[in-house]
Amino acid sequence: MHTLYNFVSGPLVWLAFIIFIGGCLYRLTSLIILVHKKEKFIYSYMSLKYGLRSIVRWSTPFATENMRRHPVLTIVAFGFHICLILTPIFLLAHVTLVDESWNLSWWTLPEGVAEIMILIVIAACVFFLVRRLVNPEVQYVTTASDYILLAIVAAPFITGFLVYYQWFGYQTLLILHILSGEVMLVAIPFTRLSHMLFAPLTRAYMGSEFGGVRHAKDW
Amino acid sequence: MMKKGIFLLIAPLLVGILLIPAFSQEDMEVVDNGSFLKKQRPPVVFRHDEHNETAQLEDCIECHHVYEDGEKLDDESSEEQSCSECHDEKGSGNILGLKKAFHSNCKGCHLEQKKGPIMCGKCHVR
Repeated sequence: MHTLYNFVSGPLVWLAFIIFIGGCLYRLTSLIILVHKKEKFIYSYMSLKYGLRSIVRWSTPFATENMRRHPVLTIVAFGFHICLILTPIFLLAHVTLVDESWNLSWWTLPEGVAEIMILIVIAACVFFLVRRLVNPEVQYVTTASDYILLAIVAAPFITGFLVYYQWFGYQTLLILHILSGEVMLVAIPFTRLSHMLFAPLTRAYMGSEFGGVRHAKDW
Repeated sequence: MMKKGIFLLIAPLLVGILLIPAFSQEDMEVVDNGSFLKKQRPPVVFRHDEHNETAQLEDCIECHHVYEDGEKLDDESSEEQSCSECHDEKGSGNILGLKKAFHSNCKGCHLEQKKGPIMCGKCHVR
């Protein structure tokens, strides 16, 4: 177990982060190169003001027409994204490991709060799954890859929850927890999880076009 | 009446006998975490003598060390002190914070020796 644990929590973490960061830079630069080649004219109306206006608008719960039409989805989606990003970064166990390796540490969430946030992520994943299965509009645009992506995102949190409570086989689950986190990191740049990178750019583009060209709201 | 009297005499004695091992190091079950203001994880399961027997540890200063000017002293040990007397929660300069001191003392050695628990929940057992 020592060797396996040291491998997944050492070299594999490095590899996952290198692919994650390298992949993100690659995707962003190839996008910029593509724009430069094919749609240079968008530079003529890209606007910081309208871009930021759109990003802020779409990052505020219930600030857009579409969010008001789907209140439950809005609440779930905001809760999901906030907890998904904050919990792993400010988790006591994660910060402790970083501190041991690099002598770097920062504020951590109280354990009880982190527990609730993990449960929010898991519950939201269940919600998204059920929504895909029962909502006809969503069902129509769903393929197998959507379920795989959902599983990739849910896995680190489900295993993390089990590991926190030390239910079932602790050692195996901890290894699976680390592995599933690494799979998710690697998947971000190369799957639709890349909306983590592209969503702000899409919003900035839409905001600029609606604000500066059409003189209309984009929300 | 007589029986009750005997019981009343024996009961505190029994409690006393049961309590002695609870406070003696020989049968210590968990590491004292009383110095942590915020206890976030269960205390570490640790049976002192059993551990040292398995680990074939004879030298107290392996864990109960004394440092001077960043150097570990060969001939001084600190069994009489509690860890938190030097290692406060935050740590300062060369002195590790209490949590880090515990982690590096236990897990650090386990990693070096390639023996003993190194996963969080293997020591902080719920």
